[in-house]
Amino acid sequence: MKPDISVTFLTKKMSSPLVLASGVLGLTADSMKRVLDAGAGAVTTKSFSMEARKGHPCPTILPFENGLLNAVGLSNPGAEEMNKEISKLRNLSKGLIFASIFGKTPEEFGRTAALAAESEPDLIEVNVSCPNVESEFGTPFGASFRDVEAITKIVKHAAGAVPVSIKLTVHCQSLSKMAHVCEESGADAITAINTVGPGMLIDTGVMKPVLANKVGGVSGPAIFPIALKAVWEIAGTVKLPVIATGGVTTTDDALQMIMAGASLVSIGSAVYYKDLDVFSNINAGLLDWMTERKMKNLQEIRGKAHE
Amino acid sequence: MSDKMKTYPVVDVKTHHPDMKSFYFTQIEEQIHPGQFFNLWLPGVDEKPFSVSDVYQGIMEITIKAVGPFTRAFMNVKRGDLIGIRGPFGQGFTLHQHSLLIGGGMGIVPLHYLARLLRAKGFHFEVILGGRSEKDIPFVTEFSEWAPTTFVTEDGSIGYQGLVTQFIKEIIYRSKLSHIYSSGPEGMLIRVMEEAAGNGLDYEISFERYMKCGIGICGQCVVDGSGIRLCKEGPVLNRDEAENVTEWGMTHRNAAGKRENKLS
Repeated sequence: MKPDISVTFLTKKMSSPLVLASGVLGLTADSMKRVLDAGAGAVTTKSFSMEARKGHPCPTILPFENGLLNAVGLSNPGAEEMNKEISKLRNLSKGLIFASIFGKTPEEFGRTAALAAESEPDLIEVNVSCPNVESEFGTPFGASFRDVEAITKIVKHAAGAVPVSIKLTVHCQSLSKMAHVCEESGADAITAINTVGPGMLIDTGVMKPVLANKVGGVSGPAIFPIALKAVWEIAGTVKLPVIATGGVTTTDDALQMIMAGASLVSIGSAVYYKDLDVFSNINAGLLDWMTERKMKNLQEIRGKAHE
Repeated sequence: MSDKMKTYPVVDVKTHHPDMKSFYFTQIEEQIHPGQFFNLWLPGVDEKPFSVSDVYQGIMEITIKAVGPFTRAFMNVKRGDLIGIRGPFGQGFTLHQHSLLIGGGMGIVPLHYLARLLRAKGFHFEVILGGRSEKDIPFVTEFSEWAPTTFVTEDGSIGYQGLVTQFIKEIIYRSKLSHIYSSGPEGMLIRVMEEAAGNGLDYEISFERYMKCGIGICGQCVVDGSGIRLCKEGPVLNRDEAENVTEWGMTHRNAAGKRENKLS
């Protein structure tokens, strides 16, 4: 029997465990359709808020030796416009659509979730952990158990029938305790992790930070081991499905995430390193790996590293 | 130069007129195709994409006209100043025999480098360039020397008075040209696409959208229809690619990613 990489996430069937991570190519329906056509089982929209935001001036995204540094500043066209893109995408593709949302206050998270739910996404991913707007928003909510509890409850209530995943940061006192807070507050899943840092790059010519925002989140291969350990810790603590994100670039990275307990594996920065082929290449790599070991499905290795 | 940000000194500045200048850089290690672009960072101000106006004898030229806060600030850049450069990014023009280059305003910039390479190959080409006035048309002298060039201005200050699109058909027929290159205001580009399609000609056109990352990941410059990224698969699109886009002349996206009606 041929191996099968399709998975069931919550109640929905996906052709692949690979997900487009938020912040990459997630602005329009046609852009996200390209990613689904390229082999992703689901796409996550760019994080959006109730109203449109311009974000930071450029440079906003900078490659460095082993990753990317970004401070886009949560630019987005607002919930109304993004809902149109989600509805349009629904008619273009069978892939799952995850809506990523954020707000300045727990109440605003709730209102944005209620708006996002109108377009009936397959999941609302709650970005409580963007590190690039600290000067405007203060310390990310993801650092505080109490804030995450409040936001999870309010979003869960506002989202109605749409399941909710909380996107966590490693920059909190205890990820396992934070995962418990999410589970007890009613979350349906956990996305881990957001970018790490913030970090910085300085140009040695002008001797100034390069990002217009000076500091930004670190993503890409540089953070893979950190993300992997976070996924392993969360999956070992709670029963919620985990969407693993952070530096996944190769089939081996994806396998490691699944062995750490991930239900889905998100890919973002790797689109820079491998372009859109990264989805079909990892899908094919997973199939080859399973064929060699006569495995039928990914369930056989999920969480294996915990045994 | 590479995807990574690094600052380079401006080795020379040429003033076309107070609102249009060329800036020259060395240390070019890679091959740069005409139509490709670099992201230029003015430390403390912003970073914006600019197509290359020339690469000649190891020196790269970027030509900028003051139209907004960033480009106005750039007019103060002097020889020796450090400018952050990332690139080259995107797909450029490919070289073809018997072509017509159609440029409008600052869209003429990438066609200048293209013309240099076509000429070096010994390929036959003709040129039609337009702008509001003579001062809005860069490289008048070079184009006039390199190829049969028709100038068209709205005020008649150089060449014919009118719009370039009025002259395309006549030149195609007269000179038996088979390939079109174009860059300029989108309204003009749409007319060029129509003329080319009507005459069964292949074309390569350089389009513009708001760009941020330059490396194909932020999704800011995607266009409706095919969802392609202008910074990665563009900014130069061939006929098939351009015809699959549904938003030309209608909408574009601002810095927030919100659709705005396009004024062209």
